[in-house]
Amino acid sequence: MGAFGLLGNAFVQILTPASLLLMVAGVAVGIVFGSIPGLSASMAVALFLPLTFSMTPSMGMNTLVAVYIGGISGGLISAILLNMPGTASSIATCFDGHPMAKNGEAMKALGLGIVFSALGSIFSFIILTFCAPMLADVALKFTPVENFGICFFALTMVAILSSGNMVRGILAGMLGLIFALVGMAPIDGTPRFTFGTSNLMAGFDTLPTLIGIFAISDILITAESMGSGKVETIQVKKVKGFGFSWQEFLYHLPNFFRSSLIGTGIGILPGIGGSTSGMLAYVTAKNMSKKRDQFGKGCPDGIVATESANNATIGGAMIPLLVLGIPGDGVTAMMLGGFLIHGLSAGPLLFVKNADVV
Amino acid sequence: MFFKKYGDILVGIFFMALSAVMMAMAAMLPKSKVMDVGPEFMPMCIGAVTFALAAALLVLSLKNHKLHLAQLAAESIPDCDHKRVLISTILILVYVFVLQPVGFILATLIYLPLQMLVLAPDSERGKKQIVQLLIVDVLFTAAVFFLFRYGFKIILPAGIFTINL
Repeated sequence: MGAFGLLGNAFVQILTPASLLLMVAGVAVGIVFGSIPGLSASMAVALFLPLTFSMTPSMGMNTLVAVYIGGISGGLISAILLNMPGTASSIATCFDGHPMAKNGEAMKALGLGIVFSALGSIFSFIILTFCAPMLADVALKFTPVENFGICFFALTMVAILSSGNMVRGILAGMLGLIFALVGMAPIDGTPRFTFGTSNLMAGFDTLPTLIGIFAISDILITAESMGSGKVETIQVKKVKGFGFSWQEFLYHLPNFFRSSLIGTGIGILPGIGGSTSGMLAYVTAKNMSKKRDQFGKGCPDGIVATESANNATIGGAMIPLLVLGIPGDGVTAMMLGGFLIHGLSAGPLLFVKNADVV
Repeated sequence: MFFKKYGDILVGIFFMALSAVMMAMAAMLPKSKVMDVGPEFMPMCIGAVTFALAAALLVLSLKNHKLHLAQLAAESIPDCDHKRVLISTILILVYVFVLQPVGFILATLIYLPLQMLVLAPDSERGKKQIVQLLIVDVLFTAAVFFLFRYGFKIILPAGIFTINL
């Protein structure tokens, strides 16, 4: 019961005007970053991290989560309009969103995407709020043996679910482990692989490494695949409100629930992010729908599936981050850095020491 | 095309070399006087696993090499732009090492338009776009500098011009 008291406490803290303003600003910036291809949600969170230095931990986390949500949601804008996903999570939105835009139904596609993104996030956050404490209770009983098992599990999941060559995925994980070895050995303090510099005695700093891995590789990947994107002017059909009726909304609901569950489940798995859940939800929706042929030519179901899944991944990814200290995907890895900056140690003890921040 | 054809093989060789070097260096670490498991244990473990995996990757990619080449020829993936990637990498490296001695403002002012030019598609390198790039560059550098210096009160490297702003 104490948990609900803390929940109320947390809501009170969130609903202060300053905090609300920061959240709106965060979502706006996130959407801008998400919709520009080449700038991703993880970059937005990385750039906002230093901004949260001066805020209290809870406000800082509010802002970062807002940026995260905005970033993932913003990807649908450029996916639908430009056939270029703004973030990796919105790749599957291109498949049906762009044909809809070409048919002049861009407003409807955008409306569908926005509404179901929002609902997907809410769905996964409800699961996060009510199931996370139970997961935390279990996690608090873990001994070092279980901790090792979790780390091993996370690394193998990353390896197995990496697209393409699995050996390369594992090798990439090993490279990460190699980087982690630099610094002082934990047991007796012998400096390892520091090459004599005192700068590396503490090992590689987490935050610059994260920014380097995601931001710089983004730049190089963009440089590598420099194609030309064409923007066509199409007649846009006029719409009222969000662009679709209540009947259509109810029709999409089963699809939405299924995709959000997929998204949350994949978010909980460490190492996998919105892109995988979007694709999986899209493929599932396609296989389970009666209108299989229409997918890829502008069927709204595809957008609903992808967008609810990739936003549901947000809440799902926060669960392992808050409960076990393992980031669910790239962006939560940044937020782990954010936690460290504010002096919160992510993991099971977070619920004990800083429950209201959660 | 070179990297697409031989990418896996290169990765395998690189990781084998890396893990071999790591194991050699780990062997040179002083042994622990307190217990059996000393500081060289984890590096040796990880090095051994990496070496084995890299060898596996190498062997597999050599075995499937012909298949891989045939698949590439059939798919006709557009070639990755080596020049852009190389220039971008060199720019980033130079920027990182030059940042401290030369100072933040100058280094960023020079780095940004060069990087943006490199990343721009070939059709967008006209005079108008370059002027736009330069404006964005100056605005961004100024915004970031003032944000860090006065917003966060974090000092950025001053470099050769010790401007007392």
